[in-house]
Amino acid sequence: MLNRPAGGDSRPPKKYYSARKKYCHFCKDRVNLVDYKNYKNLENYIAETGKILPARVSGTCAYHQKQLSKAIKRARHMALIKYIVNKRG
Amino acid sequence: MVSRYEIGFILSPEANEEDSKKVLDAVAQIIKKAKGTVEKIDDWGRKPMAYPINKFKEGGYVFLTTETDGATVLAVEKRLRQMEKVLRFLSLRLDERLKKSNKLTKRWTKIDALRRRNQELRGEREGEAPEAGTEPAPAKETAHAE
Repeated sequence: MLNRPAGGDSRPPKKYYSARKKYCHFCKDRVNLVDYKNYKNLENYIAETGKILPARVSGTCAYHQKQLSKAIKRARHMALIKYIVNKRG
Repeated sequence: MVSRYEIGFILSPEANEEDSKKVLDAVAQIIKKAKGTVEKIDDWGRKPMAYPINKFKEGGYVFLTTETDGATVLAVEKRLRQMEKVLRFLSLRLDERLKKSNKLTKRWTKIDALRRRNQELRGEREGEAPEAGTEPAPAKETAHAE
């Protein structure tokens, strides 16, 4: 595999990256405190399965990601967001 | 030590208005006894919950912000735990977070001011020698700033 000649036409293209740069939406909107009551916004940062999206996916900065994960956990406790989303049920 | 707290709780759908009033009064009384103040009561009303709690599918959400000391909040929590009509509660201290956020706001205002200045400078420069290629990128940046 490693010895394959470089630049062959049969080779699949290398990993494809989107050109748009990620940025922290909270910084853009100047959000001071991520509030768990604002659960509609938090839903943008959870995956379909209900998991918290990692910062490397959403582009959130460290400061806000920390608050965000806490806020999501609090919202889960208050039954504003589901803990898990079961696709079958 | 007095600080600002936010207490939120979910009322059972079986609770009528009287019951919810009772709960709120009980909480307010505990806080008043400790010479604290209830600043804001945010009542969302009945709302479907994300998952059932005690087999109830909806609940009444109430949030209130107060200024008291920690012991009082503990007392409030104890009281809420005893009440059957309260499905769940959550109390948070806001002071420390607010302090941190104030720092952030200061930084942001600084950054915004810098950006504005840069924009003005750029505007002056572009006024002298307008270039089509460099225009769109800075315009986007300022859109983010505001």
